[in-house]
Amino acid sequence: MFKFFKSLALVALCFALSACFKEPLYHSQSYVFGTLVDISIAGESDERAAMLANHVFQNFQNLHNRLHAWKATVANQPSELGELNAAFSKGEAPLKISPDLAQMLLEIRTLSEKSEGLFNPGIGQLIGLWGFQRDEFTAVTIDAQKIKALVKANPRMADIVVNNQSAYSNNAALKLDLGGYAKGYALDVAVAYLRQQGVKNALINIGGNVIALGQHGNKPWRVGIQHPRQPTAIATLDLADGWAIGTSGDYQRYFMLNGQRYCHIIDPRTGYPAQHMQSVTVLVPPQAANQSQAGVLSDVVTKPIFIAGATQSSRLAQAFGIQDFMLIDARAHITVSKQMAQKLHWVNADVQFTTLP
Amino acid sequence: MRMFNLQRFLKRLQPKRISAYFLPGDMMVLALGVLGVFYLFQLLWSTEHATKVQIRLADKIYATYSLKLQREVHVPGKLGDTVINIANGKARFAKSPCQGQYCVHQAWLSLAGQAAICLPNQVSLELLGENKPYDSLNY
Repeated sequence: MFKFFKSLALVALCFALSACFKEPLYHSQSYVFGTLVDISIAGESDERAAMLANHVFQNFQNLHNRLHAWKATVANQPSELGELNAAFSKGEAPLKISPDLAQMLLEIRTLSEKSEGLFNPGIGQLIGLWGFQRDEFTAVTIDAQKIKALVKANPRMADIVVNNQSAYSNNAALKLDLGGYAKGYALDVAVAYLRQQGVKNALINIGGNVIALGQHGNKPWRVGIQHPRQPTAIATLDLADGWAIGTSGDYQRYFMLNGQRYCHIIDPRTGYPAQHMQSVTVLVPPQAANQSQAGVLSDVVTKPIFIAGATQSSRLAQAFGIQDFMLIDARAHITVSKQMAQKLHWVNADVQFTTLP
Repeated sequence: MRMFNLQRFLKRLQPKRISAYFLPGDMMVLALGVLGVFYLFQLLWSTEHATKVQIRLADKIYATYSLKLQREVHVPGKLGDTVINIANGKARFAKSPCQGQYCVHQAWLSLAGQAAICLPNQVSLELLGENKPYDSLNY
């Protein structure tokens, strides 16, 4: 009996002590890529963490300026992507580009093929036509003729020829907009940098796309998934070392016109915003070194699923080797893959959802 | 004078007295009760109501206020003043100079971990509680 009380006292003591031994947690945020970027670093001194986070923010800002899709210059720096787009539209001779941009273009082409063309960063003109290449989104007048013409021009990533660190396009209608790729790419860049600096534990969030390094204290990093129609999380999950999570939704970038919602994810087959989904979330494990990394995949893979809808979700996720995903369709019905169902902690215990076999 | 010794005291007490009042089943009930309290504490604390709101402007913490006191906060963003209301344990974007007004449509926030952002004016709200239900939000 006495032993029992003793062990109970020990448990209570552990709870009390665990509150004291919290490792230092540095947290910082900034606005880059037109969105909120949030960096947490655990287990480093505040000064070192601040120095590292600032370096990451500078990297992000630099990437943002170089890859900006619709401003010719950002902070007096000409957009490398803008110059490339200008050359594409004029049908000019190959333009010299940075080695990392050449690498990105090749990677995007592979990803676009895997997505059966649904992930297509070559439709920048359509994205601009729908008013999503602006700082704020307001309703546009829908130009059905122009949309039709742009869909007919059929710009695809395969139209770009990358050779000897220069690139040209066989299709003058092709205009790159890396809005569905750059944030994920930046996550991978940041993780590589922090690992190389010996950081063991960090969590990076770029506009909702999150990647984890190590853990937080003695527990994994925990991430909340935003409810698409309420100002609260719908579920939480643990994000293990090297894992990334991404969501595409119709609730962050959209406008309303005649009672209908038009979101920023454009179906390249129709030229119109996809309308079957409220949100698509994928959870991506760490990837082998010679292929697309978790950050990129967390950004990219949600798009084809968002566009194609629930019926195609398993097949498309599988094409990218992803098993964990959640879909919330336009009627707010929730579908979860079997693997994902085991990882989610629902905020509202009464939530109704379908688990895929 | 002999010092009071808890261990010896309990030992003397133990074999006859405690077992005379508590049967093993009673101890089980007691243990389950204690575990139950711990479990509920952990479970309910995570979705507990927030106590404070942290307001951020660009990359700086602008202010942190208790949710108990009613107040109206004017945050000077790059587009103009964002007005934030705090009242009865809740906070919201009341007015914003942005075009989309997504931040205002988020309405009242009251639970720890809830957040709302105005991207154009670079103002964000995050509700804080005793414990964070999560480290970061995926959206």
